[in-house]
Amino acid sequence: MYGWIWRHLPGNAWLKALLSLVLALGVVYLLFQYVFPWAEPLLPFNDVTVDEGLGAVSGTV
Amino acid sequence: MVATDQGEQTQPSAPARPRRGRGPIATAVMVFGELLITAGLVLGLFVVYSLWWTNVLADREAREQGDAVRNDWAGRTDDGGPGARDTKDGIGFLHVPAMKNGEVLVKKGTDLKTLNNGVAGYYTEPVKSALPQDENGNFTLAAHRDGHGAKFHNIDKLENGDAIVFESKDRWYIYKVYKTLPETSKYDVDVLNAVPKASGVKKPGRYITLTTCTPVYTSKYRYIVWGELERVEKVDARRTPPKELR
Repeated sequence: MYGWIWRHLPGNAWLKALLSLVLALGVVYLLFQYVFPWAEPLLPFNDVTVDEGLGAVSGTV
Repeated sequence: MVATDQGEQTQPSAPARPRRGRGPIATAVMVFGELLITAGLVLGLFVVYSLWWTNVLADREAREQGDAVRNDWAGRTDDGGPGARDTKDGIGFLHVPAMKNGEVLVKKGTDLKTLNNGVAGYYTEPVKSALPQDENGNFTLAAHRDGHGAKFHNIDKLENGDAIVFESKDRWYIYKVYKTLPETSKYDVDVLNAVPKASGVKKPGRYITLTTCTPVYTSKYRYIVWGELERVEKVDARRTPPKELR
């Protein structure tokens, strides 16, 4: 997978390394900006309120 | 670029680098391994995100909203420009010296959207919170233990007799902790009652209840701290804090 990406990047090793870095940063940006904010409420790490059982289902915690 | 490259000789396509021979099983194992490594990295990044990045965002947001509330109190109105913020739900600031985390903006509501901005929210459901100026009742608050500002991270440092001070536009409300409950069910809504019997009190009074999740980094149980109003001080012109905060 990573080998395949490396082979398909253009340029010499330096350019490939630079492009890889840009790609990696892009992925981190996408994760932090979109994926994690979406995933976080679905995970049971951050509910801080007490509520009746129904509240947890409807998303209000 | 190739077209302007004068030194380059046109060559018949260079012989492709000999590919290492690899059977389909070896390829499958390799891709699987790389996926596992990737998953590990993503999970690691998620930890960084939840314990660090959300704090950065929430603290920034809370500071801006807090500034807006203070400006509003001081009579400086936002001009409605792009920086203008909705301050109507920000009712004041919570100061808990034992938690060593400065002031915490208090807003209405305990939904995630509110709490994720690094503020404490007062309950509107399942049990409606009283407000500090009410004659009687329980002022019930929730905030994050970790991430998103982690405003109640140090709730376990609170002991009986510690001060919880709420600052409104014109009053300091000084509460004293009289009971902590380090672990209870997340369905234990009775802790929010106007007279929180679970804390041992029987008569109506002016109480404050802090709730957050416990143990740290999870939400399995809830940590509860109860306080009772000790006195109210008027805010003077220079907003001199009460002696508990000095």
